[in-house]
Amino acid sequence: MKQKFKFLIKQSLNKKIKTKWFKLANIFLCIALICLINIDKIITFFGGDFESEKTIIVVDELNIYDTFEKLFNETNNLETKNYKLEKANEPLETLKEKLKDDNLLIVDIAVDQSSFIKASLISYNTIDTTTKNLITNVLSNIKTSFVATNAQIDNDTLNALLSPVNLNTITTNQESEENENKETIQTIVAIILILPCFFLITMLVQMIGAEVNDEKSTRSMEIIIANVSPKIHFTSKIISATAFVIIQALLLVGYSFIGLVVRTSLAGSQNITPQLNNIIQLLNQSDVVARLINALPILLILFVASFVSYAILSGVLASMTTSTEDFQQLQTPLMIVLVLGYYLAIMAQTFDGALFIKIMSYIPMLSFLVSPTLYIFEQISIIELAISATIATAFTFIIFKYGLRIYKVGILNYQSSKLWQKMLKSLKNKE
Amino acid sequence: MMYNKKKKGMIDLLQVEHVTKRYDNILAVDDLSFTVNDGSIFGLLGENGAGKTTTFRMINNLLKMDEGKILLDGKPITYKETDKIGFLTEERSLLTKLTVKEQVIFYGILKGMDEKTILEKLDYWLERFQITEYKNRKIKELSKGNQQKVQFITAIINDPKLLILDEPFTGLDPINVELFMNVIKEFKEKKSSIIFSSHRMEHVELFCEELVILVKGKCVLQGKLKDIKKDYRKKNIHICGTIDIDKIKNLQGVLDINQTPEETIIKIASDDYIDEVFEIIKKGQNITKFSVEDPTLNEIFLNKVGEAYETKI
Repeated sequence: MKQKFKFLIKQSLNKKIKTKWFKLANIFLCIALICLINIDKIITFFGGDFESEKTIIVVDELNIYDTFEKLFNETNNLETKNYKLEKANEPLETLKEKLKDDNLLIVDIAVDQSSFIKASLISYNTIDTTTKNLITNVLSNIKTSFVATNAQIDNDTLNALLSPVNLNTITTNQESEENENKETIQTIVAIILILPCFFLITMLVQMIGAEVNDEKSTRSMEIIIANVSPKIHFTSKIISATAFVIIQALLLVGYSFIGLVVRTSLAGSQNITPQLNNIIQLLNQSDVVARLINALPILLILFVASFVSYAILSGVLASMTTSTEDFQQLQTPLMIVLVLGYYLAIMAQTFDGALFIKIMSYIPMLSFLVSPTLYIFEQISIIELAISATIATAFTFIIFKYGLRIYKVGILNYQSSKLWQKMLKSLKNKE
Repeated sequence: MMYNKKKKGMIDLLQVEHVTKRYDNILAVDDLSFTVNDGSIFGLLGENGAGKTTTFRMINNLLKMDEGKILLDGKPITYKETDKIGFLTEERSLLTKLTVKEQVIFYGILKGMDEKTILEKLDYWLERFQITEYKNRKIKELSKGNQQKVQFITAIINDPKLLILDEPFTGLDPINVELFMNVIKEFKEKKSSIIFSSHRMEHVELFCEELVILVKGKCVLQGKLKDIKKDYRKKNIHICGTIDIDKIKNLQGVLDINQTPEETIIKIASDDYIDEVFEIIKKGQNITKFSVEDPTLNEIFLNKVGEAYETKI
């Protein structure tokens, strides 16, 4: 029987892994993850308008070009926009004829009797808001300077007037000050942790359901159950499906690692978008990873127990149905529970310390998404995480015990009349 | 209900003793008893819903009986015992996405065999059934007849001591029916016991030695085929020639007369009426055939099922 059990696990796992579709899906996943991690490099590689240099020709009737250039360069801190300033040496009408694309702009600055300066921004197409705001800010500063000079304010006073107010942030909690970027890191880690889980559980439910359904609808279930007990069959399905999910998760980690290696090996990435590199650096510095490593055994138990719970329930539901269509409908409540867990985990980041979310973190089938998120955000301790894992494990054993009773009856039942009555009756059957 | 008792110390391969199975309020099998000896072919007959498949499922340990017991080699059937059974279900029970080879390995290993032995036997049977070229083809790509051959191979791959065949000839042409029959006979010669059900009475008649007829889960006829026929009082008289039909019709004991272009078949209530019929036939013209024959199994079956309904079992 042990040999048959091993064979059933191997056979079920091979059915999922040794297929061209699994290979194709993983090639796609690998490429997608590598691309995602290196998305900035890919965008830069293909180029686009963000790279082109905008030439701004200043028609200066006030003789303030030098001040305009100085203030413009000081104000422009946009990394993705390149500007080149030029003082006009041709008449405005001649310059207007040169406007053929978005890379040339004309700023016409003139004297205004009432408001000192009037200016026009002339372009071929509609100008983007960023550039417009930048020029407006520069001109407003020039105006202030112009007015101050006319009012005979000395240079030091003028500089003091024009310099921006430095908002110095002070927090009395030293820890809080030290962890300025912690929240960002926590959000990122939580998403990295819960998104793949959501994705993997969806796969798990579909796979186990389709497999049980296939064996049942082709009546091969009768031959299988004539030779191995429903318990052996059910357990083999759960183990193979969970093993599949773990293999897929490890592959995803592997693909992410390849993506990071590609990123590191490609020179110059720091110059393009330093944000991702900063995140990786912050991740290394923060204690989030250390906390996760501390709780790793508990997290693994919680994840495995929850995966097994979903596998058991999808197997039981599939055993009750006779077609894939019926299973698709019957699995909807299971998917809603999964989505609920996902949203609670997302909301945990917004509703800091919410009692309802904390209670939900102990509920099996939700806890594997909510508890780790709360733990990362330091809203629950490692003890509370361990309690969630214990409840999830106990729940798994209970649903296996009672689920098996339904499974035994369900897999050989082809009638849809009085289905729920039969299944409820089977719960009482201790054999 | 009677069932065969063997000599002291000898155990029948399969013993079904007073088995009853209910689905809620429906009585699917009612106090059924029979035995199957080593190296015999046993027919389980009945109309649709008579309880044949339920009986097969109980023998295969798929269903628990409410009352009675089923013994294989004198022991209750457990998962250890089912390795000795080969089971061909009425409906196709093949995983159509697998190849022929994968499918046979799958079921073979579930029967406790090792892969090497399965492959050796598979090659033999594929050649025997003339489907060697389909070894690595997916089952869904095969014709119905070839799928039935694959299913049959999965049932016999473990050289079962007890072979259960539920409607084995479905979807087969006459040549392949012959092929299947020959293989079944070979298994009988190898001392395997075969239980099979079929709606085609001519198949049952051809090679069944013993049988049970079920009506609504209850056994209405049981025994050796030759004894059943012998005990069955009604006879058929086959005549070729010109005879006075009206005179025969008026005879006592004549149940029915059926005329075909080749011959006339007179059904009589028992062989007590043969002489009276013969007296009239003698006076006919160009008589080339006068033969008293046992009724076909089909007739017995229809008669027994009809009787059972009349007595409202």
